[in-house]
Amino acid sequence: MFRYVIRRILQFIPVLFAITLFTFVLMRAIPGGPFDFVGDKSLPPQVVANLEAKYHLDWPLWKQFVSYVIGDDFLGEEGTSLGVLRGDLGPSLRYRGQSVNEIIAATLPASAQLGFMSTILAIMIGIPVGTIAALNQNSWADYLSTFGAVFFLSVPNLVLAPLLIWIFALKLGWFPVVGWASKPPYLLGFLPQLNELNLEYFKHAAMPVFALGTGSAAAIARLTRASLLQVISEDYIRTARAKGLRERVVIVVHALKNSLIPVVTIIGPLFAALMTGTFVVETIFGINGMGKHFVNSIGNRDYQIIMGVTLIYAVVLVIANLLVDISYALLDPRIRFD
Amino acid sequence: MRKKLFVLFSVLIVGAMLLSACGSGAGADVKAPVTLTWNFSTEPPTVDPALASDTTSVDVIRNLFVGLTQFDPDTGAVEPYLATEWELGVDADGAQTYTFKLRKDIAWVHYDPLTGETTQVKDADGNDRFVNAYDVVYGVKRTVNVETASDYGYVTYIVKNAAPLNAGEEGFSLDDLGVVAVDEWTVMFTLEDPAGYFPAISGLWVMEPQPAWAIEEFGEKWTEAGNIVTNGPYVLDTWFHGGEMTLVKNPLWINADDVQIERVQGYMITEDSTAFALYENNELDTQGVPLPEIDRVKADPVLSEEFFNAPEACTYYYGFTNNKPPFDDIRVRTAFTQAIDRQSLIDNVTKGGQIPATSFAPPGIFGAPAPGTVGLPSDPVAAKAALQDYLDDKGMTVEDFNALGVTLMHNTSEGHASIAAAIQQMWTDTLGVEVQVENQEWAVYLVTIQNDTPLEDMPHIWRLGWCADYPDENNWVHEVFNNAMGANRLRRDSGLFDELTMAAAKAADPAEREELYLQAEEELALNEVAYAPIYHYTIVNVTKPWLTRNFPLMGGVDFFNWTLDMDAKLAAQGK
Repeated sequence: MFRYVIRRILQFIPVLFAITLFTFVLMRAIPGGPFDFVGDKSLPPQVVANLEAKYHLDWPLWKQFVSYVIGDDFLGEEGTSLGVLRGDLGPSLRYRGQSVNEIIAATLPASAQLGFMSTILAIMIGIPVGTIAALNQNSWADYLSTFGAVFFLSVPNLVLAPLLIWIFALKLGWFPVVGWASKPPYLLGFLPQLNELNLEYFKHAAMPVFALGTGSAAAIARLTRASLLQVISEDYIRTARAKGLRERVVIVVHALKNSLIPVVTIIGPLFAALMTGTFVVETIFGINGMGKHFVNSIGNRDYQIIMGVTLIYAVVLVIANLLVDISYALLDPRIRFD
Repeated sequence: MRKKLFVLFSVLIVGAMLLSACGSGAGADVKAPVTLTWNFSTEPPTVDPALASDTTSVDVIRNLFVGLTQFDPDTGAVEPYLATEWELGVDADGAQTYTFKLRKDIAWVHYDPLTGETTQVKDADGNDRFVNAYDVVYGVKRTVNVETASDYGYVTYIVKNAAPLNAGEEGFSLDDLGVVAVDEWTVMFTLEDPAGYFPAISGLWVMEPQPAWAIEEFGEKWTEAGNIVTNGPYVLDTWFHGGEMTLVKNPLWINADDVQIERVQGYMITEDSTAFALYENNELDTQGVPLPEIDRVKADPVLSEEFFNAPEACTYYYGFTNNKPPFDDIRVRTAFTQAIDRQSLIDNVTKGGQIPATSFAPPGIFGAPAPGTVGLPSDPVAAKAALQDYLDDKGMTVEDFNALGVTLMHNTSEGHASIAAAIQQMWTDTLGVEVQVENQEWAVYLVTIQNDTPLEDMPHIWRLGWCADYPDENNWVHEVFNNAMGANRLRRDSGLFDELTMAAAKAADPAEREELYLQAEEELALNEVAYAPIYHYTIVNVTKPWLTRNFPLMGGVDFFNWTLDMDAKLAAQGK
């Protein structure tokens, strides 16, 4: 197991390198540069040249890439970049004087808190609902859960979120319209400060967590149902019943545990996507999360932020996938890694 | 492993809830400061006067720093600010100079976010620092310095040697820049060319005095809360990047007694509909109205009372590619311009009470013609006749014309798309022509409509807007459309128009400048029909009854001129 984990971690290196290279090349391939315009106006060529020189965008591409990955000192150049390998994601091109490290440190925590709670909600709703539906196949409970799942899967957050605001914040006044109650500085760099973790915090979190969590819960519920139905018809379940085990033990210990493998498989990437921020929900609920940077940095051609958020997402994703693979062994004794 | 993490996190949360439940103190009975809740809409990319180029940054800077001059909120006229008076002169080489006398009582202040105290900055000898001529000179030099890489540095190019210095040309040092401190309270600018509009430019943020010692101490981080040193009506309290920014009143400000709003609680909500919901929930005191809400606001008995429509110094226009057939013929350009029913577009699509535009600079800009007095009005009959004339001349039918594949391009946006769809339909209805509408993402779009794009890739018609930097026609027809100055996206041949705006920039007599600009506007919009002006923007806003705010003609927000009835606001919030 230990060797397996080490091997997987070593495999991250080429994967992350390839992602870095592809992202770097792709974003440079889009027409337009970060300094071509401000707002509704374009900038004169001389000013663009000054800005490009300041941020070394006038260097050849290969050199910019080397600078980005291993730093300016390796190139024997005067410059500030220490390189991604030493944890320096570079300066933002749009937000003057802010580094990408600072921007991520300021925005990732809110996204991570929101994503974590949404994932928990998704699991807590999705797995029980899917199980109940499977055990009562073709009953009203099954149809109701199917209806609910299809509803939440097909109503996009773009619609759901303003609807929630309208009903629960404006009409009923139960929750605040927007915002995230936890602010920097964060505990350990990503957790809310203890004195912020009060009713106010969860009131602010309620609607965005619901909006984000329900869609995922629906996906988990459908998958749990399908997987459980398949497992229940397996021979070993019949054996378990033939042994005279109680139905509850048959379902929880033998059937459900095994049926969770496909569910866990999707929870990994889902968790990574939710943790690193979602554009629509964060924008509509006015949460200062990382999601907006995935979209806005491309419009701004803020190359360093594009690279930074892509890499963070990639790292979280590969780690989540590793955890998923490890959990297979815990769920199914037939799976061994050596 | 994951399970353990979950358990750990859950324990943390529950523990924290218990702790916080014990710790909450009783609410204090202190009177709440007069607080404006404001939406900046987005993170200001910077609050450094030398670097700012977008409206959000400039809005903040306007409340933190002073400029040499300022614009009258109602008329846009240039007024004294840091400078009390200025005079025009000529130096030994015959170049035009402007000498500004400064007031001596504007303090450089530092605000400590931890203690909430504002103190006047002392110099090395322990004397109070007041904003002086050396700070102005330092500021201008820093903006022009190539290493600063200022986005808006080009605005200073009228100052002697600013352009070559900003281009990093050999043989120039910053001491060659045409700005000197004659004494501690007098600063003199030497200009490249005579410029009657210079007092307006001198008040722009990129020319503002900057604190050399603070910038040297903190480098790029000098604008962070706690580091920043300012000299304006407000000081920076907090700045959570991307989330919130709070300003508090500067008690040492020259007119502190007149500044009624003590605290500006600023959010950065990008989503218009969310911000509007906050407004409706009494959590924002004033807010722009999103287009889909305009009809509801106008019909609602409460919101319609809070609705306000103010002109904004911006113009929306369609540019023609003047050398691309069939738009190389003035009759085609005339037909396409006159077939646009601007009023119907405003009534049915943009809905914000915009002003139909037939020329470029909007009202309030020095030298701007009154709307509708210069240029081509909407006229379907004349439009049809102009196109028919062209077709007859070329021996073409409308079908032949449509086969040319006339294209209108705009940058991707719902608003631009609905305007384009409406105008496309007007062209079809009036002229019988089919125009294809295409859109591109903004950064790509700007590359596409550049002057060096091959003609076959260039759309025939394309959308752009322009907003004022300073209230003078020089910033409009000259900087945007003069072939020697602007990007020449219109691909015009140089002619009378270019000579007129050149002459107007250099003329000293305001009446003569006004006359020259009038002719220039007429030349471009009527005699050349090089572009189709569509409308001048308006601000479409709702403001709560407890807030009294202004809408400066030149745009921007000046919190220090607003007043707010805090008791009424708290009552409405149920507090």
